[in-house]
Amino acid sequence: MSIIQIENLKKTYRETEVEVHAVNGIDLSFESGEFAAIVGPSGSGKTTLLNMIGGLDSPTEGKIIINNTNIGNLNASQIIDFRLWNIGFVFQSYNLIPVLTAKENVEFIMHLQGRKKQEREQRTKDLLTSVGLGDRLNSRPSQLSGGQQQRVAVARALASKPKFVLADEPTANLDSKSTENLLDIMEKLNRDENITFIFSTHDARVVKKARRVITIEDGKVVSDEVK
Amino acid sequence: MNLRIAWRNIWRNKKRSLITISSVILAVVLATFTRSFQEGSYELMIENAIGKFSGYVQVHQKDYWEDKTLDNGIDVSDSLLHQIVSIPNIEGVNIRIESFSLASNRNNTKGTLVMGIEPEKEDSLIDLSKKIIKGKYFGNLDQGILIGSKLAQYLELDVGDSLVLMGQGHWGNTAVGVFPVKGIVKMPAPNIDRQIVFMPLKTAQEYFSYPNGATSLVIKFKDADLTQEICNMLNSSLDTTQYKAMSWQKMSPEMLQQIQSDRISGVMMLNILYMIIAFGIFGTVLMMTEERKREFAMMIAIGMQKTKLIIITLYEALIMNALGIIIGIALSIPLVVYYHYYPIEMSGEMAKSIEKFGMEPVLPTIISFKIVINQALTVLIITIVAAAYPLWSILKLNVIRALRR
Repeated sequence: MSIIQIENLKKTYRETEVEVHAVNGIDLSFESGEFAAIVGPSGSGKTTLLNMIGGLDSPTEGKIIINNTNIGNLNASQIIDFRLWNIGFVFQSYNLIPVLTAKENVEFIMHLQGRKKQEREQRTKDLLTSVGLGDRLNSRPSQLSGGQQQRVAVARALASKPKFVLADEPTANLDSKSTENLLDIMEKLNRDENITFIFSTHDARVVKKARRVITIEDGKVVSDEVK
Repeated sequence: MNLRIAWRNIWRNKKRSLITISSVILAVVLATFTRSFQEGSYELMIENAIGKFSGYVQVHQKDYWEDKTLDNGIDVSDSLLHQIVSIPNIEGVNIRIESFSLASNRNNTKGTLVMGIEPEKEDSLIDLSKKIIKGKYFGNLDQGILIGSKLAQYLELDVGDSLVLMGQGHWGNTAVGVFPVKGIVKMPAPNIDRQIVFMPLKTAQEYFSYPNGATSLVIKFKDADLTQEICNMLNSSLDTTQYKAMSWQKMSPEMLQQIQSDRISGVMMLNILYMIIAFGIFGTVLMMTEERKREFAMMIAIGMQKTKLIIITLYEALIMNALGIIIGIALSIPLVVYYHYYPIEMSGEMAKSIEKFGMEPVLPTIISFKIVINQALTVLIITIVAAAYPLWSILKLNVIRALRR
């Protein structure tokens, strides 16, 4: 069953007199449990596509249906709530809250959901342990390496029990060892807990691990390959 | 969690937060201190010239205020006094008879204000016995007089000497008398100290040939804030074809105007201070917001409502300013209390010019909880207003653009 259904998606930016079609008629669907990579050269539209799937940007045309909800019909406040309960995000630059510890960063999203303290604490501990940071619960982001910060970001993305995780170039700022480590963790979470991951990436190592690779050029899907 | 984030964000840039908090402390201290001195000087002015001398409300014969002669006096009767004291909050009435006379001793002569008073009752109102610097206080039946210290100095009089007084009495009678000086009083208002002669009421009525006569009835009550209310009650209760009750504001309009105009200039200075604070706080909150737009965008992206984000940012501004306000109040109170009991004493030309207005050349503060709270609340409101634009910018935040920063 599709958890994400994309129909004739278009995004056009107007730059002075010129119209730029960042996404130009994409039809896609993602099933639960996928480990998919969206690849393409810079400016091909992969980040714009990811932003629209995540409800951060709105399409000029077309529909995105997530779990039977057309997110284009949600208002600004509803879309934020929709993201909170359905989508996990991993950003290229980790984007942790610098004044909170690893534990608090993960707990924060559950706090927004209004989950009980006991549940929050237990889940935080489990998630950070699963990404190999069980011993760094009380470290602030500035006390962690880039790879460790990104693992905290993965734990945070999973904390809200989302339907899927969107990861925008998650390995771009990591060294090869940290990249391997992060990919192994995400692959394991995908395999063992059936968590859906959708990446936008340039990184060949991510592509190698992905079980589905969607290639975009000039805002259009040029190939959609399932391994 | 929101409070925790706000608290930690404050200490993210310690130097900037400390500067902001310090500016709020300074603002609260300066504003409280300035207002306390300002209101303190008004209070002293009113207390010296009104509360401790003329009283806040007086009853006169209806034409007396326009033409202050003994011929426009009151024939005091028990029924009139009873009618006045039966009004709620009025604790008593002091009968006074006053007129100008010429005083002389040896070769010195000076115009004086002769005031006949009820010694015991007046002492409880104007603390006259405490103002005696030489000699003794007088009783109801005394023939002796009390004179102001500056007048005594001018006329070269001492306790035990005699003062010759000459003036006009009731219905054109000549008032003449020789009175022994029983005591010398130092009146706080120098213009009064230069011309006052106090006499027991009976002696003065005799001197002015006006038995049972009075020029004013000073109404005694505790709370000065009731002035207008009591004045109105008196005017509605007394026969207004004969009597007229007047508040100190009506009796001394120039003092009221002086206070009001001075208060306006003081408030304008304070407003300038408030504007400086407002810009300081605005700058801080704006910088805090601008620096963290990417972080805010991430928080919104993962599911935080913008209103919650605004609450966190507002908490930050409020906590910093609450800290500043609390410390500011804590520092202001001892300063205000100290200068209330140990007012700044002015000297030189400034003191002389203040004395010319009949005031003591001192600058005390007023201990007023209202002033402290008003300043604290004003700074708090400024904080909220100054934070409005940065908070509005969160509402308008473009998440995609901010994440790319």
